Amino acid sequence: MLELKNLKKNFSSFTAVNNLNLAINKGELFGFLGPNGAGKTTTIKMMTGLLSPTEGEIFIDGENVWLKPIESKMKIGYVPDQPFLYDKLTGREFLLFSGGLYNITKDKLKAKIDELIDYLKIGSWIDKRTEEYSQGMRQRITIASAFLHEPIVIIIDEPMVGLDPQSAFVIKKFFTAQVNDGKTIFMSTHSLHIVEEICTRVGIINKGALIFDDSIDALKKLKEDRNNNLEELFIQLTNEEE
Amino acid sequence: MSQLFYIMKYKLLIFMRLNSKLNFETMLKNFGSSIIYLGFALGAFWFSQKFINFIVVEVKVGLFLLHEFISMILFIFFVAVNIGNTIVSYSTLYKSSEVNFLFSKPVPSSRIFVIKFLDNFFYSSSTLLLVLLSVLAGYSVYFKLNFFSFLFLFVFNFIPFIFSAGSLGVILLLLIIKAAAKFGFRRVVFFIAAIYVITIFLFFKINSPVHLATSVMKLYPFIDTNQYLGEFIAPVIKFLPNNWLSEAAYWITRDQISKAIILSLQQIVISVLLFISAMELGRRWYLATWLKNIKLNAEKNETKNHETLFSFGSSSSLKSQTEAIIKRDIHLFIREPSQVIHFIVLVFLIVIFISSVSGIRYIGLGNFYLQTGIYLAVFMFNLLLISTISLRFIFPLISLEGLTHWKVRSAPVDNKFLIRRKISIIGSIILFIGTGLSYYTSFRFVFVIELMSMLTTVIAMITIISINLGMGGLFVNYKEKNPIRISSSQGASITFLICIIYMLFIIVLLFEPMSNYFLARMIGRHYNLFRLIYPVIPIAVVSFILTSIFLRTAANSLKKDF
Repeated sequence: MLELKNLKKNFSSFTAVNNLNLAINKGELFGFLGPNGAGKTTTIKMMTGLLSPTEGEIFIDGENVWLKPIESKMKIGYVPDQPFLYDKLTGREFLLFSGGLYNITKDKLKAKIDELIDYLKIGSWIDKRTEEYSQGMRQRITIASAFLHEPIVIIIDEPMVGLDPQSAFVIKKFFTAQVNDGKTIFMSTHSLHIVEEICTRVGIINKGALIFDDSIDALKKLKEDRNNNLEELFIQLTNEEE
Repeated sequence: MSQLFYIMKYKLLIFMRLNSKLNFETMLKNFGSSIIYLGFALGAFWFSQKFINFIVVEVKVGLFLLHEFISMILFIFFVAVNIGNTIVSYSTLYKSSEVNFLFSKPVPSSRIFVIKFLDNFFYSSSTLLLVLLSVLAGYSVYFKLNFFSFLFLFVFNFIPFIFSAGSLGVILLLLIIKAAAKFGFRRVVFFIAAIYVITIFLFFKINSPVHLATSVMKLYPFIDTNQYLGEFIAPVIKFLPNNWLSEAAYWITRDQISKAIILSLQQIVISVLLFISAMELGRRWYLATWLKNIKLNAEKNETKNHETLFSFGSSSSLKSQTEAIIKRDIHLFIREPSQVIHFIVLVFLIVIFISSVSGIRYIGLGNFYLQTGIYLAVFMFNLLLISTISLRFIFPLISLEGLTHWKVRSAPVDNKFLIRRKISIIGSIILFIGTGLSYYTSFRFVFVIELMSMLTTVIAMITIISINLGMGGLFVNYKEKNPIRISSSQGASITFLICIIYMLFIIVLLFEPMSNYFLARMIGRHYNLFRLIYPVIPIAVVSFILTSIFLRTAANSLKKDF
């Protein structure tokens, strides 16, 4: 469903992502872990067409992201780490606007918005301007906007930063339901407990290179074998590479 | 195409939305803004009539020379809009988070380019259009033109003229970023700036206003002062849009509409061609240059980790709070490419200004009104330059504290201390530039004029800096990270208008003593030079009041809820 082949990104002499190979299957919730500056956001930006790879290719459902950008973006839902919202639009207007970019018919779009509002519990805020929103509400609207066009792959960068427990709970439940529905989620995060809780597969990137890629069960087993908690294991794995 | 209109529809909706908090303060602010806009529009309308009357009736230059002078002003205007658009376009096309958002959606890069191009044009040109409309209305009323002639001049001449300047600015920007990938950003910017300087220099070399005025005025006792004397204009000048525009206006005032239509058609054709070229280059290069710009910025940031005089780690004799605030502001300034480019452009403008004024003859022009006009125009231009620098670098200062303002706000830093430190460096640079310019434009006169000029300039500079700082605080926007967008906002436009009104107040006070001085010089009569100092007293009083009000506004803005 989502494939990265020999992906590399250089900034002058600095290699941000180095020969990354990944194939994520339909219905997987892939947790992309790594310390700060490991190359998570750079990878995501290349996947969403915001940074061009120095080498390598990215395929979404068999479509090369950089050769067929419009077609592949129709299949992607993207939630950036710093969501952009038009302050002067209400949440509903922003969702209508976003849906329009994907050529969704008005009726279908309105029905989808109502469904997402309900699921993500945005109801009482939806007709207020986004400039009045809290961090959690901004994040919920951004997530809703990424699911409007029924994407088959959803790419999410740090979805839980600054969220209250209520918002985090709603979002986790929503992601799990989407994956159960057959969607594929690629999620970069720092929150190890969230990975443990909802991801089906985990990748760890350090200094631009993938140092771990396996199922969550394999990671849990590794944790037990080394008699660690996940935090200690993560630190151990990323330090081993230094 | 429907996607383009769809996005435009929402952009228009956002543009028309007022601030959501409709309280007394915002209502007062909006009311005050409307009054200033209205006052300025009326002022520009009135002033343009008086100015034309002064040139035509008092200085007696005739219609042909008047329009050739207008052509020169339009040339400078074209260059200013063009440079301004290049700089603002960099922010809107390459630095805006909205572009990131749109690129992550299935929107072709060519459409994003069109959206941001128009966004940029209308965002930065609304005040300009208001000023133009008012001046043009004054011009039309003075020459008793009918409404259709006014509309014809505005819609089919001025709009394409500005559009050409804007399109050319965007074409240049695409070329700059494309070339920067190969030759380096700084080298390309210096090259482009040098081309501008040479172009302006050559324009005034080929089309010297003094030479043209002397040549034409020699004929005036023998010919009709309104006669067209195209043979005095260099052929190359006739190919420039500024000349087409001023000559179109000339032929309309002379009731020869067919000649004006031909010039207007040329204006429209060149505007369309430049727009199509900008769109085509945008279609081909925008995505590539956008990605290239991200890469260039990332690489630039990477190579900057060496100790310099301004590094936070280097030792300093300044007190720690002063050092922290000053060094932070310096870093924020030099690491923001648009600020640096803007500063370079303004330095080039100052160089052009200095080289231009060095050749101006004040004495012996045979008309004391003309001498006064030239002297005050140079004086006004000096203040205008100061006002532009203040608008670009002082007005955004408080907003640029940004969302990180919590750090300073929660630290034991006094607000007045913070403001003093924030304006210390850029304020000193402005004072240095302004005083230097004032000296350079008046050192050939007697000492008293030199003294009056420098005193007035220093007082005006302090006031203009205070107005910009205060208004920047009143219209503070901590969310906007981009200094260019801050200094192109509605609040900035109003600030600029206030500064122009203040400058006109100074010019009005200086007019009588200066014209009396030039008259006395011309007829060889004695003139008490200390009368030139008298206007400085009311200027100082009004400036002191304005400075106090606006500095207080700036300090109060830092007390607002964050």
